[in-house]
Amino acid sequence: MITQMQVKGLMFDPYNNAYIVILRDEDQADMLPIWVGKSEASSISLALESVDPPRPMTHDFMKAYLDAVNAKVISVVITDLSENTYFAKIHLTYEDSEYTVDSRPSDAIALALRSEAPIFANESVIRKQTSEELDQWLENLKPEDFGKLDS
Amino acid sequence: MMPDETPQPTEPLIELTVNRVVEDPNTDTRILVLSRTDGTPEHFMIWVGAAEGESIRRALDTSVTPRPMSHDLVRSFGEHLGVITERVVITDVKSSTYFATVYLENKGVTRTVDARPSDAIGLALRCHAPIYVTPDVWKRRTGQNLDAWLNKLETKNIGAQEV
Repeated sequence: MITQMQVKGLMFDPYNNAYIVILRDEDQADMLPIWVGKSEASSISLALESVDPPRPMTHDFMKAYLDAVNAKVISVVITDLSENTYFAKIHLTYEDSEYTVDSRPSDAIALALRSEAPIFANESVIRKQTSEELDQWLENLKPEDFGKLDS
Repeated sequence: MMPDETPQPTEPLIELTVNRVVEDPNTDTRILVLSRTDGTPEHFMIWVGAAEGESIRRALDTSVTPRPMSHDLVRSFGEHLGVITERVVITDVKSSTYFATVYLENKGVTRTVDARPSDAIGLALRCHAPIYVTPDVWKRRTGQNLDAWLNKLETKNIGAQEV
């Protein structure tokens, strides 16, 4: 089973000096935080805020590459979690065939946002993630923590 | 992508290789040092972001990263779809910003994609595609007299690492 997720926000994790992308399902029942690097976070932030940078960023280039050959991103799926690393798959259509490409979740999300493609998560990943400790920690976060990246 | 392409210049393109990636500790950027394949002992430097610079450094090391980097993902798209990265060309420079074009080949059809040189080169290295610069951009490059400065910076970097 897979669940469709929305990108709810992006926040800085000062403990790990990294960024967290918060995915939530449509009922706001399940949450999936994904830790990403600085440049990936910045790329996701630009897409969330619909900023058109003067020069194409790496994921804009990625999208332009696929557009140039008429390949289309149909969906991305966060598929697995193993040793604190998430795995994702990008589903593409190209000349009437479907292709599945392995990816880091950060690249998959950054590309999905630019392609207006839905983001899904395997239920097993969401289950593994919902440890009470983490939920509590995230609930205690203030709205201000979900601010813009360039603050 | 380039409907009003001007006629090809009569001067041939200059082929480049990535000589090395140098850390610029003052700005958290990386300096891409490119050399000519014809042996002309002059360099061409491009400042790129830290992430893009590290991606290029990893491609040079041919070290396998546990998870695919962004440029590995683009290469992977090409492998799945049968799209070949034929070559990349640094085509223009405006206000110290360099512009590049990636040439993709698929079933005999060539398509071009606009890119930053860092993405173009990050992909070219992974696809073993040649990297070129137009003679015009080569003439207008920055860093013509920066070799001494660069050597000093690298010596400083080595010193800093030893501390």
